[in-house]
Amino acid sequence: MASERERGGRWPEPAAAPAAADLARCVHCGLCLTACPTYLVTGLETESPRGRIQMARLIEEGRSQLTPAIQEHWSRCLQCRACEAVCPSGVPYGRIQERARAQVQAQPASGRAALRLRRLVLRQVVARPRVLGAVLAPVGRFGGWRLRGLAERLLPGRLRTMSRQLPSNQGRPFRLEEAAAGNPDGEPVQLFGGCVMRELFGETHRATVRVLARAGARVGAPAGQRCCGALHAHEGDLAFARQLAKANIAAFEGSAGAIVVNSAGCGAAMKEYPELLAGEPGWEERAAAFAARVRDLAEWLAARPRLPRGALGVRTVYQDACHLAHVQGIRREPRALLAAAGCELVETEGADVCCGAAGLYGLVQPGMSAELRRRKAGSFAAARPEVIVTGNPGCHLQYLAAVQEAGVGAEVLHLAEVLDRAWRADGGASG
Amino acid sequence: MTTRRELLAALRRAVGEDAVIWRPEDLAAYEYDGTVERSVPHAVVLPSTAGEVQAAVRACLDLGVPITPRGAGTGLSGGAVPLRRGVVISTARMRRVLEVDPLDRVAVVEPGVANLELSRQAARYGLYYPPDPSSQAVCTVGGNVAENAGGPHCLALGVTQNFVLGVEVVTAAGELRQLGGRAPDAFGFDLRGAFIGSEGTLGIATKVVVRLLPVPPAVQTMLAAFPTVGQACEAVSSIIARGVIPSAMEMMDRLCIQAVEARFRVGYPEGAGAVLLVELDGLAEEVQADAARVRAECLERGATAVRVAASDEERALLWLGRKGAIPALGRLAPNYYIVDGVVPRSRLAAVMERVAAVSERSGLRIANVFHAGDGNLHPLILFDEREPGAGERVLATAAEILRVCVDEGGTLSGEHGIGAEKREFMPWLFSEEDLATMERLRDVFGADGGLFNPCKVFPGGTGCGEMGSHAAAVRAAGPDAYV
Repeated sequence: MASERERGGRWPEPAAAPAAADLARCVHCGLCLTACPTYLVTGLETESPRGRIQMARLIEEGRSQLTPAIQEHWSRCLQCRACEAVCPSGVPYGRIQERARAQVQAQPASGRAALRLRRLVLRQVVARPRVLGAVLAPVGRFGGWRLRGLAERLLPGRLRTMSRQLPSNQGRPFRLEEAAAGNPDGEPVQLFGGCVMRELFGETHRATVRVLARAGARVGAPAGQRCCGALHAHEGDLAFARQLAKANIAAFEGSAGAIVVNSAGCGAAMKEYPELLAGEPGWEERAAAFAARVRDLAEWLAARPRLPRGALGVRTVYQDACHLAHVQGIRREPRALLAAAGCELVETEGADVCCGAAGLYGLVQPGMSAELRRRKAGSFAAARPEVIVTGNPGCHLQYLAAVQEAGVGAEVLHLAEVLDRAWRADGGASG
Repeated sequence: MTTRRELLAALRRAVGEDAVIWRPEDLAAYEYDGTVERSVPHAVVLPSTAGEVQAAVRACLDLGVPITPRGAGTGLSGGAVPLRRGVVISTARMRRVLEVDPLDRVAVVEPGVANLELSRQAARYGLYYPPDPSSQAVCTVGGNVAENAGGPHCLALGVTQNFVLGVEVVTAAGELRQLGGRAPDAFGFDLRGAFIGSEGTLGIATKVVVRLLPVPPAVQTMLAAFPTVGQACEAVSSIIARGVIPSAMEMMDRLCIQAVEARFRVGYPEGAGAVLLVELDGLAEEVQADAARVRAECLERGATAVRVAASDEERALLWLGRKGAIPALGRLAPNYYIVDGVVPRSRLAAVMERVAAVSERSGLRIANVFHAGDGNLHPLILFDEREPGAGERVLATAAEILRVCVDEGGTLSGEHGIGAEKREFMPWLFSEEDLATMERLRDVFGADGGLFNPCKVFPGGTGCGEMGSHAAAVRAAGPDAYV
């Protein structure tokens, strides 16, 4: 049995290393392999969940340093957590991976400057609404820009992809005050605004508010709420993620009702605040009370007894956001809501395989991200949908580029936008 | 003596630069399969074509380097663990379904295709591939061929051997050969049959022709809870004695139920001493009638509850628990050692009592999940490898259980293969002459050099006697040396 002193192996920061008990839980049965998008693409054990856990074990057991190769294998992980959903032993892979990345932050073997820059951008831009707003405002305007066609012709590959990923139908950014809506006697519901969602997906938020109100809610959005911290945690900046978590817990404490989230990544992170803040005196109970209130929009709606219906009649494919399907276990609800809205649902192969957006992944691993996007494009080309629905901003942007690659004229919409349309057209009949 | 550098250069010539893995930390991801065996290879290659497999095999043969074939590395007998190090040849990049012929009900696949992927592709034509190991979402058809894999649904239909019509292989001598074909009835010497279940000791499959069956029109899955394992075992025998052959009949004991419930919450009754999962398929009327008989038989043998899955979803959930049962034990202990023995169905209850006695004597917890209809046991010994001496105690306990199986008229493996640890027990079942005959078959495939998946299947094993001296030679020659 390893002594406490030996525990931690060759981790740069043994105290914050992935827990030995978490690592020991993996029995390397391999049942995760075909759930892993990067294993599907490469066929390499080193790009599989079992392989990435083995790398952590090598360090834990003192068999290897945190080498550049190991860092690269971890960096290639999308953190989609599809492996966790299929793991029979219940290995907390997401937690292992976040802690492993924190070790990389402590001792980057390569790309130190890029790592620092990402951390800086995440802390100083993404997490600050005003700064993010200033940065994204021109980008948002570009989305609706008439010269976009010119950009399509002139920009080189990667920039062109990025330009294709900008939504064009989202209008101006969303202000939290816009959330106040609905029946004064209705069930209270608090909208979580988020960072990128508020800036780039104003229209999705406005549709969400209308849909919630139509479903009978009294909607509000407490001031003082911030970015959820998911991107920071995934990058291994756990300290900053904890700060954001605490700010959000405090911001929502004075309000009543469910905390409704329309971004899968944020919802998953917020449901896991208790894990993030485990061992923080005074915060564990508050985090648990907060997490118990968090609901994805689809989850909240599906639990209502009476909802409007619709008759959209559009050929629709739904793509599972990883952090909705794999982390929150929400697969059936959005499909049921779409069906009730009158969408003609078509299932595609690999609907729940990561699209490759995965937060900042497209910037860090452009090759793998593009390969996964091409696979989605292939499935869209085969299914020929009129509408593609998802529930996460990153995936949304990725699909905007994928439909162009597929050459299908499909609209990419958030679930809230589809329901908003269907329920407006319906004119108020309940079912 | 070959250096590492020479070996890597030869492999790169054979399969190309990006198909050779060589960094120590990367190679460590190939040191295991689903068992407790571990050994790090010197290199891993990932060929994309039969030609590249052949080139890689020849490169290794030329240099006298051991070869271990690997599918998805989900095996449960250490078959894919490179015990003498050397080169692992992975089929992970050969995963195309080349053909599904709905009229002849035949499919042709590359060896790295996942078992379930094959069924998924066949489903477009209303067909499926019946052998269904619990790891079927991941494990490969090539690996299934090597281990003659079974699965819950092999009770009525048979194992891999019964569904593979032909195999294209690169033999241990580095030659490309066709064994069998795509016709349903083979003639002449059945070399295909000899290859299936040879556990990667005769060569590597590069293409597999399989038989498909139509998806049955009606399926019913039921779960019966029993106070004791003994009563559940008796129910199994009496169901079959009454002339009902379910498509699957699976049992789990109290410890397994506990692990599965903790992970999946499938609704197995937690207080039960054993649950029996029975699946019937065929024409609707026939399935209904059989289901009534199975229910009556279970209740007669003391079942406290019999639940019939009301929907496809409930059915999938019941199976999710069964198929994830073994790794779910990872929740009860950091390690488990899986025993794969077979006993005559009629001896099930007696054997289970003896296994329980072994558990008590050894002080090690043993969970049981098994293909009850086939009498194929999977006692799982729970332990923590970090405890000193745990490994030896576990191996001794496993040996004791296998001895019980053989004493009761059974065998050493139902579906996982002999692999690494069980080869020493082969003499319990086969005489020296029997074993010598098997060894001579290896000569035919050119495996007499002992380089192909060494230290597997045969006691002592060709080439394994020298393991100690081999290691000493490597040490003497320094870190860049390679033997």
